[in-house]
This record gives sequence, structure tokens and C-alpha cells, in this order.
Amino acid sequence: MRLLHNYHYIGAVILFCIGLYTVIVRRNIIKKLIGLNIMETAVFFFYISLGYVDNGIAPIRVGGADPSKMVNPIPQALILTGIVVAVSVTALALSLVILLYRQFGTLDVDHLMRDEAEEAKEAGE
Amino acid sequence: MGAYRHFPVLMITIPMLGAVLLPFLGYLRKRWVATATLLPLAVSAVLGLLLIGRIPADGYLSYELGSWPPPFGNEIRVDYLGLFMMLIVCGISLLALVFSMRYIEREVEGPKLTAFYVLFLLLSAAMLGFTATGDIFNLFVFMEILALSSYALVAVAGNRNAVRAAFKYLLMGAPSSIMVLLAIGFLYSVTGSLNMADLSTRIAESSYSEVLIVAYILFVIGFGVKAALFPMHMWLPDAHSIAPSPVSAMLSGLLVEVSAFAIIRVTFSVFGSGAENLIGGTVDALGIFAAAAALFGGIMAIIQKDLKMMIAYSTISHIGYIFLGITAFTAEGLAGAMYHVLDHGLAKACLFLCAGSFIYVKGYRRIDDLKGAWRQMPWTCFAFAVASISVIGVPPTAGFISKWYLILGNIEAGNYFYVFVLLSGSILAAVYCFRVIYYMFFQPPKEGAWESRTNEASPSMLAPIWILSFGTLFFGVFSYLLIPSLLKAAAFLL
Repeated sequence: MRLLHNYHYIGAVILFCIGLYTVIVRRNIIKKLIGLNIMETAVFFFYISLGYVDNGIAPIRVGGADPSKMVNPIPQALILTGIVVAVSVTALALSLVILLYRQFGTLDVDHLMRDEAEEAKEAGE
Repeated sequence: MGAYRHFPVLMITIPMLGAVLLPFLGYLRKRWVATATLLPLAVSAVLGLLLIGRIPADGYLSYELGSWPPPFGNEIRVDYLGLFMMLIVCGISLLALVFSMRYIEREVEGPKLTAFYVLFLLLSAAMLGFTATGDIFNLFVFMEILALSSYALVAVAGNRNAVRAAFKYLLMGAPSSIMVLLAIGFLYSVTGSLNMADLSTRIAESSYSEVLIVAYILFVIGFGVKAALFPMHMWLPDAHSIAPSPVSAMLSGLLVEVSAFAIIRVTFSVFGSGAENLIGGTVDALGIFAAAAALFGGIMAIIQKDLKMMIAYSTISHIGYIFLGITAFTAEGLAGAMYHVLDHGLAKACLFLCAGSFIYVKGYRRIDDLKGAWRQMPWTCFAFAVASISVIGVPPTAGFISKWYLILGNIEAGNYFYVFVLLSGSILAAVYCFRVIYYMFFQPPKEGAWESRTNEASPSMLAPIWILSFGTLFFGVFSYLLIPSLLKAAAFLL
């Protein structure tokens, strides 16, 4: 019953696992980045659900508002920072993807890494 | 209440502000950018030096940002180990920066030069903040600044291999950051606090032991990737060997150590001694990985042909040593780990800068090409030899002192197997270091490799190399200056 009551945590965990699976298994690097963003979203979702209150109100104390009804503002403030960080990581990663595509002409991880092994072999000879 | 109370926060904000203002200077007066980068770091270093003696070994300096009292507001808390770490960061960053003033123009050109210095300053500032912060969410924010600037610095040369290495690093680094964020969320959900000191008292009273264990494991994985602990090290050899040499020195001499320091913070300041039975299992597993890292890194370093690749694998091995000091859970072990951070930072930065000056002067990366190098570049070769001896851990270098305390700590903890691992790690280090030294000093040069009269690296490159290698000797001979306070600080933390 406790698990059913905390169904939002299950949602976050499922989302997190989908993201991690995508990052690890997918071969296309754009899809890997999408997986990364899904992971981030899962964590943001987890944080926001921590502060959730049924029929909650904004945590501003005016006219005798009931403190027990107030939503916890701290996770929201933290996630605002988290979103900024996530956007910058994605931006940097996408610019690296552009450079990779210009240099190698492919977005396939296997291709990129196989190239590396071949180059290492050539350098060894 | 002297002005020195404000020094820790100024040490972080001045380089950060410098990094913001530098692009404008780059737009107006391009030639001054390199010199202007030195200034904020030098100010930070001076402020840090002025703090010496003001922070007792068993105390700390707390700074309330915006005058909000600690459990609610952001806190900057510098204890003795934190100051020690901050001074290492300032010192090695300054030296690597002096080296790169001449070196980097060869690898990075045009408008990207300003970007390089901005990223460099941002990396140093983030590392200072990372070690000093007393708030666990700020730890995450500084880690992200640090990680983003280091991804970009690996890619800064812009060629095929650099971009690929940076992307590989990012693909491992970004998920690990998310795991740290998730771990912070777990801690917040069961304790309702983000201040490290407040967290440690709340964790001791908390009844949610499963959540706390999972959070600790996530912290270890998250910071472990950044510190390149053994099973999570795959990004390191590429990133460290392909990045420009001063950047390699920063990554290998500082970044991995700072991440290991974050694990010290989380283990001792957040989870603390009250939670020893909580995290005991994870710490044992960490010890096994650390031992595997020490041996694996050493063996892989022996079979490398590329000089920078060899130094990078040696870093993996030494990260294992630092973690073996942490997992001993004794004052000697922790003091040894901190001293190893100092000694490894100096020695590895020196080795990477030496490798950089070989690349700068001759373009040689392979160990074979260094045969007989000392005839043409004696100063670089001698500095390389001194730093290698410190990596092996031969007296009178600092490497010997740190290894001594790591072994003492593990004997006290009763981990005799780890003592064996530490000693065999030294033998492996001797194998890979003496091979290079043997090639440099006792082998005839290859046909045509060193025949034409080549000049030694320029003084602005040799000076940082020699200061670093002299540092390993200095801290080996005068270890009594630091060791008693480090032992006291470690005992205070435990």
C-alpha cells in the first residue's frame, strides 16, 4: 500500500531507467543525448514530487494562509538551477555532436569507436 | 572578526568574476588575456596563503552567504583539509597556466585562445568552490561547472581525436552528475536538509537506512566516474592523453583529486562516524575497486607506447592509492590520502608538463622516440626523473611519505592485503617509470631523432616544471611541516 501511495516515485524510477537504458544501449549519439535528458527529467520529477501537497497553495504568507497547505518551495528552487545546468550540458553536447559529424560524417557510436581501434592499429605498425 | 573571514568566499568569487570579464578583455586587447588570467588566480593564492595558521587543524572557518544562518542559508565552510586542497588547486593551476602561456598557441589558435583562458579560469574557480562549499547542492552546481569546463577544455584543440575524447568523457560524466543530483534528492527527501553539517546530525538520527545506503552508493558512483575509479575509468586515458598538455596536468593533477576529496567530504562530513555501519558495506566494496585500480592502472601503464597514455594510466593507479587511504577509516590512512593528493598533484602535473615540452620542442609523443633525449633536453629530463621517483615513492620525495602513511593506516585497520597491493603498486610504478628514465639517459638516440641541435624548452616552460619537481622533493624532506596537522585534522574528521 505504501508503494501505491507513493506512485510518483515509481514513475520517476521508471523514467530514470528508460533514460539510462537509452544512454547505454542506443548507438545513435543524438538518441543517447535524448536518453540523458530523460534521465534528467526523471530526477527533476522526483524533486518536484517531494514538495507536492494535495490542493496546495503558493508558499506566500498573506492573510492567515494555512502553512500546512503550502507547497515546499525548496525543491522547485533547486530544480530551477538543475534545469539551467541540464540545458548547458545539452548545448555543449550538441555542439560536440556537430563537430563530430563534421569530422567523421557519422553519428553511429560503433563507427566512431571502430575508427579509433583501426587508427590505433595503424599507429602501432 | 578580522577581514580574513571573507577570504574563502573571495578566493572563489574573484577567479569566477575574472572568467566572466575575460571575454571582454579578449575583445579589446587580445595580447593581455594570458597575463590577465594569472591575476585572479594569484590573488586567490595570496588570500589562501594568508589564511594559513588562521584555521586550526581541529576547527573550521564558516562563512554565511548573505548572512543567512547555516542550516537555512548557503554556507562556505573551510576546514584545515579544505584549505590544504584549495592551496594545491591555486598553486598547480598557476604553474600550469604559466606553462600554457607559450605552449597553447601551438595547439589552439585565433579566437579560441581567449576561450581557452576563460575555461581554464572557470575550471580553477569551480574546483576552489567545490572544495570549500558546505552546502551539498552547491557541491553539485560547482561539480557541473567543473565538468562542463573540463569537457570543453579536452575538446579545445578541435581535431578529430580531441572531439571524440571529449564526447566520450561527456557521455560518462553527464549521467554520473545526474546520479549525484538524485543522491542529493534522496538525502533531502529523508532529512529535509541540504547543509552538510546539519545533514550529518540528521542522518545519525534518521531511520530510513535503505534510502541512505542507496544515496551513498549513488554518490560513490557519481564522484567515482569523475575521479576515474577503476571500473569507471574508461574516459580517462583518452581525455588525459589527447587534451593539450597543460590541460592534462590540470585534469590529472587536480580534477581527479578534487573528486576524490568530494568522496572524503561525503563519507566523513555528511555521513560521518555516526553512520559507519550504514555505509560500511559500500566502503568495503570501494576498497576492493581501489585495490583493483592500483594494480590495473600500473599494469596498463607498463604496456603503453605513448608517453602521455602511460602517465594517464599511472593516474588511474594512483587514484586507487588515494581511495585505499580513505577506505582504511583511520587517521593515518586519511592523512596519507591527503598527502598523496599533494604529492600526486605535483608529480603528475610535472610529468604531463614534461611530456608537453617534448611535444612542443620535437613533436615526440612515443616513448621510443625519447631515447637519448637528455643530451638535448637535460633540464626537462632531470625534472621528469625527479617526478618519476616521487611517483614510485622512493625517499626523499613526497611520494615516499604519503605511501608510508597509507601503509601505516592500512596496517592499523588490519587490511594486510591492501598493504600488499600498495607495495606491489610501487613495484609496477618502478617498472614503468624506470623504463622511460632508462630510455632517456642510457640509450643511444634513434637514427636521426635527436641529431640536429635542438634547444631546450623556453624558460617560461621550464620554470613551472622545475618548481613542481622541486616541490616533490621539498615536501618529502620537510614533511614534518604538514603531517602533524594533517593527522590532527583527519582525526577531527573521523
